[in-house]
Amino acid sequence: MSRAEKLRRWLEKELGGNLISAETPFPGRLFIDLKREALTAAASGLMNQGARYQMGIGYDARKDGRGFGLVHTFAFDRDSLLVALRTFAPGDNPEFDSLTPFIPGAGWSEREYQDLLGLKFRNLSDRKRLVLSDDWPEGIYPLRREVPHDLMPPAAEEVAFRLEEAPPGTSIIPFGPFHASLHEPAHFSVYVDGEDIKGCEYRGFMTHRGIEKLAQTELTYNDVPFVAERICGICGSVHAVNYAQAVEAAAGISIPRRAEFIRMVALELERLHSHLLWLGVAGHLIGFDTVFMQAWRIREKIMWLAERLTGNRKTYGLVIIGGVRRDINRESSRDIRSTLEEVDREMQALEKAILKDRTIHRRTRGVGYLSKEETVKWNLVGPVARARGLKIDARRDHPYAAYDEVEFEVPVADSGDVWGTLVVRVKEVYEAIKIINQCLDRLEKLSKNEPLAVELEGPIPAGRQGLSLVEAPRGEAVHFVLTGNENRPERWRVRAPTYPNLQAVPSMLLNNKLADFPIIVGQIDPCISCTDRVLVVENRSGKARLLSRQELENISRAKRSGR
Amino acid sequence: MWLWNKIKQLAISFKAGVVTLRYPFEPRPAPEGFRGQPLWDHAKCIGCAGCASHCPARTIFLRDICQELRILLYDSSRCTYCGRCADLCPEKAITMSDRFELATDNRQDITQTIELFMMTCQRCGRCYDLEIKNYIDRLSALGYRYDCLEARKVIRRSTAEFSPDELEKTVTYERPGRLEK
Repeated sequence: MSRAEKLRRWLEKELGGNLISAETPFPGRLFIDLKREALTAAASGLMNQGARYQMGIGYDARKDGRGFGLVHTFAFDRDSLLVALRTFAPGDNPEFDSLTPFIPGAGWSEREYQDLLGLKFRNLSDRKRLVLSDDWPEGIYPLRREVPHDLMPPAAEEVAFRLEEAPPGTSIIPFGPFHASLHEPAHFSVYVDGEDIKGCEYRGFMTHRGIEKLAQTELTYNDVPFVAERICGICGSVHAVNYAQAVEAAAGISIPRRAEFIRMVALELERLHSHLLWLGVAGHLIGFDTVFMQAWRIREKIMWLAERLTGNRKTYGLVIIGGVRRDINRESSRDIRSTLEEVDREMQALEKAILKDRTIHRRTRGVGYLSKEETVKWNLVGPVARARGLKIDARRDHPYAAYDEVEFEVPVADSGDVWGTLVVRVKEVYEAIKIINQCLDRLEKLSKNEPLAVELEGPIPAGRQGLSLVEAPRGEAVHFVLTGNENRPERWRVRAPTYPNLQAVPSMLLNNKLADFPIIVGQIDPCISCTDRVLVVENRSGKARLLSRQELENISRAKRSGR
Repeated sequence: MWLWNKIKQLAISFKAGVVTLRYPFEPRPAPEGFRGQPLWDHAKCIGCAGCASHCPARTIFLRDICQELRILLYDSSRCTYCGRCADLCPEKAITMSDRFELATDNRQDITQTIELFMMTCQRCGRCYDLEIKNYIDRLSALGYRYDCLEARKVIRRSTAEFSPDELEKTVTYERPGRLEK
């Protein structure tokens, strides 16, 4: 009996009348509808059976008379199964039980919907704002349907996030929002006792752009991939493929084989480029700039390759729903192979030259340690989790595209520190090269006449759920799509890998030296813009006005002199 | 061991040498298939508004400033160069050029405007291209439904005779921003 079937029986027995429905519309997914009262019982039951918590999704379903929906998704990695628990609460009393008492990693999701939808959570310990800016007026919940996507409330003066006081015996060192060691805006208020870090508080979501709201009010199904790939500057294809897979799953579209392999090539090229980028950044953060320079020099070749393949230095603009837009023919396949050969050779030389270097060992071994238990507790993903002995990889556990047909290893380390992360990432570079070569072999064998994308027959049916995973270079990215009317998703939720990983950073920082702060935060490769994607005001809309140079100068001067 | 590693690193660095390109002192042409600034072919465009209704960044606007004159405005400042317009154009009037050096302090440098002469439908009074019929239908077969509400609103705006006001509004068109509170 499959795990899904077992789970369904168990839920029927355990919840009785509180279980509304349990469906498996396509293999590997189980969508469960529950009554609100049974949420805690079901979630804790799933956790006891070895599930890994992924994310929460809140949405406004008042239009259908169902109030507010809340979906929690869980992964059973050994059984290739994703479970989504959906509950509804009436619009006038949107209160749910918090899952944080037994899943601390659910805290951010719950705080997010507390901000964006006005949901209330019982027993949620930390009720501070997470997503919305500090001067956002109380009582306006931007993800609700009645709030326009371009609402711009006036900025309030002198409102600030209330950071906690430093614990006794420590003092605060603020990092960010703009700091040399952070590449994107985020604020860490680090408590130090001398040189030792004793704790930290995080305030992020400063680059919140409103992409999810935009998708459900303005864009159409096929517009979204082009916006989705701009969620992140590095894993562009990851989000576009992920979104497309979620919609395809919900609508029951199967895409041509050729498109699957081309998507895989794009994803793996991105992994190559991201790992090399991270290696460079990590070297830079520990003051080892030779690594930075050489890793980025190798990476540049991949960027040029991507430019030749997709028409953009990033692998942008490749994915649409139903397939891909550009082919990889024999000529470009040769081009890829020769570039990869070069990258492989140079990478091996670089690895030999640096991995035994004492500088790296001294700065990374034992730094940012997190035990395996903590890793499981915070639901970490990607190389960060694999460096802590957790063998999870969405490509192997929940195969998408054609990953079940290629052979690759999932490198794991058990040192639990930055060193482990580094080793895992370097090893994955070779695995990515291996996967691309296998994909090219397959592509060369496939018939050339196969279309790159399927034609869609009729509109995508409304009200269906789609859940998709893609192993981004930093870890697994999850997309949830609820199809809607008007040719656009009713709800599209993106969970980037940094979202769970960043929540564990305070634990990783504990008892480390302050000088190691940059590399500890850097080891998860924090992609703040991925994490902050969701919502708030859309600045790019209309009111852009051309300022003459003189006007601009005047404005800046007025600001500076406080006028 | 330590010294040996350093020597290896030195060797790598020396072997790579200086990799900085001489750009912008030497031109650096974009590779084949690069998606740069889209260019509209005035002669081929039939004014079907397909590009306008499928542009993910909503940078292409169409507006009828009078009965027989339709204006297409491409505002490059927000373009993401995805090339969706070129894909969907039924007449292949749009080509993605290899131009990428687009930084400018004057927005007009990168804005393209086309004036299209359209026929008038004797039955409904709206403009269409007499020669080639039913392109809206053919277009929706390529992608999705013709459903950009904003683009539709813009297209339907039409006056009986030439109106300088409408022209002015088109040229200085601003997307609806903040809604009234």
